[in-house]
Amino acid sequence: MKTLSFSFSTKLTFDDYVHDHSFALRIIPPNTEAQKIISCGLDISPAVATKQTVDAFGNNVTAGYIQGDHRFLDFEIKGTAEVDSSKHCTFLMPCYLYQSEYTVPDEELRAFYTELKDKNISDVSDRAAFFSDILSDIIEYKKGVTTTATTAAEAFAMKTGVCQDFSHILISLLRMDSIPARYVAGLAFCDGETHSWVEYWTGSHWEGIDPANNCPVNDDYLVISTGRDFRDCAIDRGVMFGRYTQQLQLVRSVLA
Amino acid sequence: MTQQNIKQFTKAVGNATEINELLRRYGVKFGIYKNGVFNEQFFPFDPIPRVIASEDFKSIEKGLVQRVNALNEFLFDIYHDKKIVKEGIIPENFIYISKGYLAQCEEITPKNRIYSHISGIDLVQAKDGEWYILEDNLRIPSGASYPLIARELTRIAAPDAFSENEIVDNRNYAKLLKETMEYANCGGIRAILTPGRYNAAYFEHSYLAEHTGSVLVQNDELFVEDNILYHRTYSGGKTRIGVLYRRIADEYLDPLNFLPESLIGIPNLMEVYRSGNVGIINAPGNGVADDKGIYYFVPKMIKYYLGEEPILKNAPTYLPFYEEDMKYVMDNLEKLVIKDVAEAGGYGVVFGRDLTKEKLEEFRRTIIGEPRRFIAQEVIDFLDLPILDNGETVMRKADLRAFVLSGETTKVWASGLTRFSRNPDSFVVNSSQGGGFKDTWILK
Repeated sequence: MKTLSFSFSTKLTFDDYVHDHSFALRIIPPNTEAQKIISCGLDISPAVATKQTVDAFGNNVTAGYIQGDHRFLDFEIKGTAEVDSSKHCTFLMPCYLYQSEYTVPDEELRAFYTELKDKNISDVSDRAAFFSDILSDIIEYKKGVTTTATTAAEAFAMKTGVCQDFSHILISLLRMDSIPARYVAGLAFCDGETHSWVEYWTGSHWEGIDPANNCPVNDDYLVISTGRDFRDCAIDRGVMFGRYTQQLQLVRSVLA
Repeated sequence: MTQQNIKQFTKAVGNATEINELLRRYGVKFGIYKNGVFNEQFFPFDPIPRVIASEDFKSIEKGLVQRVNALNEFLFDIYHDKKIVKEGIIPENFIYISKGYLAQCEEITPKNRIYSHISGIDLVQAKDGEWYILEDNLRIPSGASYPLIARELTRIAAPDAFSENEIVDNRNYAKLLKETMEYANCGGIRAILTPGRYNAAYFEHSYLAEHTGSVLVQNDELFVEDNILYHRTYSGGKTRIGVLYRRIADEYLDPLNFLPESLIGIPNLMEVYRSGNVGIINAPGNGVADDKGIYYFVPKMIKYYLGEEPILKNAPTYLPFYEEDMKYVMDNLEKLVIKDVAEAGGYGVVFGRDLTKEKLEEFRRTIIGEPRRFIAQEVIDFLDLPILDNGETVMRKADLRAFVLSGETTKVWASGLTRFSRNPDSFVVNSSQGGGFKDTWILK
C-alpha cells in the first residue's frame, strides 16, 4: 500500500472565441478495491457549473456547458490516494472479451497472433507477460508518429507508438486469446503526461500490466478511468462552436 | 370485405390519382439516398385498403403484445443481469458482437423499465391465412404517419366508404403516442428530435409533432446544462425537456459518448438520460434486440420471460452459426432467402433462387467465412393483395408493419402500414426499395 499525491492539469487554448461549448471530463479517479481516494479537488476555468455522473464503465464524468464566448478551458485536479495493487477489482463486464473500435485486428495482426498462440503457456498472467515481452521487442516507443486516432492495427503496422498504442495492441492480442482485457488511463512514472496501461481478467479479478514499460503494475499507478479502449477513457471530450482554426493543449501531471 | 365492396370502394375513390394528388399537395414524401444523392419521392398510395377481420386482428394483437413485452424484458435483462445469456439460452457472442449492443447503456434503467416505446413489427400473411413475423424494429420504426394521413384524405375523397363499412377509427395514433411519451416523461415538455428536412422521414417527424402537441426540434436548439436537457426558446430563455422522441440513430445521439463526428447529436445527453432526468424514445441500445440474428431467439425469449407459448410464429429461420443449420443452409441455399444481419431497409437481402451457379458458390463461401453475419429463412409464399395499376386490378406481394406502443400498458394500434411491391416478381416491399403503401382497415 502506498499513499500517492497527484495533480494533473490541462490547458486548452483556442485561436479565436468559441461558444456553446459542451465538455465531458473523465479526470476524477474512482474509488475501487485497489485504490482509495482520500481527497480530490477539481478546478475549472472559466468558472462553470458542472455535474458529476458515473458512466457504464464506472468512470467519474464531469459534464459542463459554457454558453458565452471564451478562448480557453483549463482544468486541474489535485488530491491524494491510497493505492494497494495487491487488491483487485472483481467486476467483469462481458464486453471486455470482444474487440472494440480501436482494437479490431487486421490480417497482419491476426497472423501475428496466430504464430504466437500455440506457445506452450497456460497461465493467463504468463500469457499476458509473454505478449508484452514480444511487443517490447518489436514495437519502438516513439512519440509523434501515432495520434490519439491510431488503431491497434495501424500502430502494429508501423511498429511504433506510445503507451496508448502498446495498450491497444496488447488488448487486441489478449482478446484474440479469449482473455478479457481493458484499457486503463491514469497517472504513473511522472512523465508529465497521462499514462495508459492494460488490465486483463485472470478468471477471478483484474490484474494490471504496463506494456509500454513491459512491467507489472504496482502501487505507483493511479487509475483515472477504464474502458474498452481509448474512446471510453478520453480525459476530455468537447463540442464547441466558433471560428477557431487551432486548439492548443498543454498537459502537466505530477505524481509523488 | 367482399369483392363487391372493394369494387364499390374503388369506384367511390375514383382512381388513385385524386388521393395521390392530395398527398402530393400535403407533402407526403419519402426521401431516398442513392449513391450519395438525396432524392425525395412521393410514396405511392394505393386506394384499395387491406382489410383485416376483427377476429383475425384480435389474435394478431395478442401475439404482438406478448412479443413486445418479451422484447422489453429482454432489453432490461441484457443491460442488467444478463440471465438469458448466463442460462445459455442465447449465446453470449450474439449479444456482444451485435452492432446494436451499446456498452455505454449498461445498468441504465429507463423510466418504468420501458425500452421499446414504439415498436414496428413487420408481418406477412401466408396463403393459408397464418401470420408470420418477419422482423422487429425497435430503434426508430417509421411509417405510422402514412396510413394516418391517407385515411384522412380518403375520408375526404370517399366519405361513404366509412359510413358503409364498419371500420375501426385509426385517428387515435397521436393520442396513443402522446400517452406513451407522457409515461416516459421525466418532467418537462415533449419534443421530437429530427435531423432535419433531408431525412427520409421528415414529413413524419413534423406530422407527429403537430398531432401530439410536441415541439419539433433540431439539435442546435437543445443543450445540456446542470444535467438537464433544455430547449432554447426564441426569447433567449430555456425550457426543460422531459421526454425526447428522437428520430436519429443511437450512434449520432451524443458526440461525447458515441460518434464524435456527429453533427446532429446533443453533447452529454447520455449523462442526463443515465441520471433519469430525461426520457428517450426509444431507449438507446435497443438495436441489440432487433438484430436479425437475435430475431431467431425471440420465441425462446417469450417462453423464458413470460412462460408462455408464442402466439405469432417466426418465419422458419436458420442460423449458419449453428453447425446443423449451416448444413441445412448449404444444402438448400437455392430455395432460401439470406439476410445480412447488419443491413436494414431491404438492403442485403438475397434470394438463393435469383443467383447463378457461380454466384451461389461464391455466396456459400461468404457464409462459411462469416457465419454470424447471415440468417437464412424459408421463403414464405405470402398472400398477394389487389392493387390498382392504371385502372386495372393486379395482385402484388404486401407486408404489414404493425405499430405497438408501450406505455402504462402495451397497445397495438388498430391500423398499420401495408407496403406492397410494385414489381410483380418482387417480394421486397420496403419503401426505400420503391414500394407503395395502402391503408389498413381493421373491421369492428
